[in-house]
Amino acid sequence: MNMQSSSFIARFYKYLFALGFIALVTAVLFALRESLDTALVALLYLIPLGLITAYWGLGPGITSALATFLTFNYFFIKPYYTFAVHRPTDVVILVIFLIVAIVISQLVGRMQSSLAAATAREREATQLYELSTGLAGLNDDRAIAQILAKQVQEVSQGEAVEVNIHGPHFLAFQLPEATQPARTPEWIVPLQVARGVLGEILLWRAAPAITSSEKRLLQTFASQGALALERARLAQAESRARVLEESDHLKSILLSSVSHELRTPLSTIKAAASSLRSNDVHWDSAARPELIAAIDDEADHLNMLVGNLLDMSRIESGVLKPKREWNILPEIIGSVLTRMKHLAGEHRVELDAPEGLPLVPVDFVQMEQVFTNLLSNSVKYAPEKTVIRVRAFVEGDAIHVQVSNQGPQVPPEHLERIFDKFYRITAADRVTGTGLGLSICKGIVEAHGGRLWAENVPDGFAFNFTLPLIWEGVSLPNLPMDTETE
Amino acid sequence: MSNAPHILVIDDEPQIQRAIRTILTEKGFKVTTASRGEEGLTLAATNEPEIVILDLGLPDMDGVEVCTRLREWTQCPIIILSVRDSERDKVAALDKGADDYLTKPFGIEELLARVRVALRHSAGRQGVTQSKVVKAGQLSIDLAWHSVKRGDEEVKLTATEYKLLAYLAGNHGRVLTHQSILTNVWDPADADHTEYLRVYMRQLRKKLEVDPERPQFILTEPGIGYRFIADE
Repeated sequence: MNMQSSSFIARFYKYLFALGFIALVTAVLFALRESLDTALVALLYLIPLGLITAYWGLGPGITSALATFLTFNYFFIKPYYTFAVHRPTDVVILVIFLIVAIVISQLVGRMQSSLAAATAREREATQLYELSTGLAGLNDDRAIAQILAKQVQEVSQGEAVEVNIHGPHFLAFQLPEATQPARTPEWIVPLQVARGVLGEILLWRAAPAITSSEKRLLQTFASQGALALERARLAQAESRARVLEESDHLKSILLSSVSHELRTPLSTIKAAASSLRSNDVHWDSAARPELIAAIDDEADHLNMLVGNLLDMSRIESGVLKPKREWNILPEIIGSVLTRMKHLAGEHRVELDAPEGLPLVPVDFVQMEQVFTNLLSNSVKYAPEKTVIRVRAFVEGDAIHVQVSNQGPQVPPEHLERIFDKFYRITAADRVTGTGLGLSICKGIVEAHGGRLWAENVPDGFAFNFTLPLIWEGVSLPNLPMDTETE
Repeated sequence: MSNAPHILVIDDEPQIQRAIRTILTEKGFKVTTASRGEEGLTLAATNEPEIVILDLGLPDMDGVEVCTRLREWTQCPIIILSVRDSERDKVAALDKGADDYLTKPFGIEELLARVRVALRHSAGRQGVTQSKVVKAGQLSIDLAWHSVKRGDEEVKLTATEYKLLAYLAGNHGRVLTHQSILTNVWDPADADHTEYLRVYMRQLRKKLEVDPERPQFILTEPGIGYRFIADE
């Protein structure tokens, strides 16, 4: 209502100014009446008329033309101060004046309104241009909604604008943020593409009522927005397709590598088993226990390989969720050492953990896996009869574990990459292992919220990792203690 | 061979059936096989085997379910076969009454050791008196007199430590889940507090094991529980 009355007042003032201007001109001409010819006055009157129409539009122009007709008649045509006309020439002048005045007003007015229309069109075009440049290259639904809402708000000057986008993730963007009126919006435009409706624009503007030209513009905005959304969907689909293609490629690399890894122990088993079966190997031959041992060892190796592959796929698909419990780290290490007794072979494994090392919230089985892999890696590379040291200590609110060996150092440029799948520093590494052990360790440690890295130490090489002592924001619960003796 | 112990193997994989049957028959057991859960339950009811070896991954029903159904009427030892990384299933089956587990692939020694322990326990259940003194290396645990000795030296244990050791030693050879230990030694309400168990186990090992970091008697079964290894 407010806006309507203010525009009414503006229009009223236009008429007032127009009539005031005519009064002024009349006053000037009146002062010069005696020296001016009636026809000249008529001509001079046409100037303000043209100007009024040009500045204030057709309505004030026509009104002024009629007013001028009356003042001209009243003040400048004899007999003065009456609307009566005596001379026939004056009648002609008056009639011509009226016709010319109205025609000029109309012409100028029409020109004026077509200029206004052209300006409006230009503004629309600019707004559309701004919208489409804003939307260009956007692949994110949220950003599209944001731009769309902003532009609609700018153009409509409404109370509130909301852009809803349907799809797998429903999304609503509001302007001004979170202050949308409680009533139903005055205008809803669907964001429509050939495949269906992708969302809608909601506009709240009670007054002034939304005009049909504004509606047309908003429709155009909506279709621009819809196109941008569709483009974004297509781009997303394309990038998904590309990711799938890449992972497919990686899988085929993995598959070829895996089949090679699987075939090596299988070949050994097959060869050993078939030669035992064929009676080529004599019952009391020394080769016999050796072949049997080979079958047993390679079967274990195969089992480890399959286990590693499973772990890896679990880590990669993100389903490796540690089943956390409060555990004693040295017990986990002890369990590994007990089982690795024969594997550790000629190495001495030393455990260096303080008596009061706090319990740590980890998945026992997964941490066992980490220690097994790190220790077997150390056993593999460090020379025999050297020491492998496992150290654990508290560092801030985490436990720091270091597994160091006296093996060869790793060139600094490889330190990061040794945790990559199937990454090997030398070709000779192919002989044993799966190339997955260290990446599994990294995956497990990271799933626990820790960090795993490798470094060269003065007398060899070391793996380091951290394990947070706080689990879901909680540190170790109190433990009941009894001290009395049985 | 009519009094040879009877073992029922429920496993859907023919290769595993074949291998187990061959090995156990060779060792003097009578072996029946079933490849489905229902079939296994029927055979168990008709043949009343001394031991059931049960694969957890059966085509027609959940292995844990088979365990539960068997336990409704028989106390015969059940040894579970399962693959690595299925600790949750193993624990579920053990808590539902299974006695022991083996992770595929397993060595034959492991299988035979489990079968021996199972037979001993089934004998115990049938009223055959078991020795009240459990010996493990230098250790001797007298369950009747509540005394623990290493060599000739008395080992001082707290009440809880002794209760824990007695439960483990009384079931030596068998795997005991965290939950069953916590329920039996502490209280059913403490069944989730594995940290109690970890702390007491560390104390116990310090008092009993020669090298607590490389335990010989109280073994950790990762993700499952503990097992006490006594002299056979």
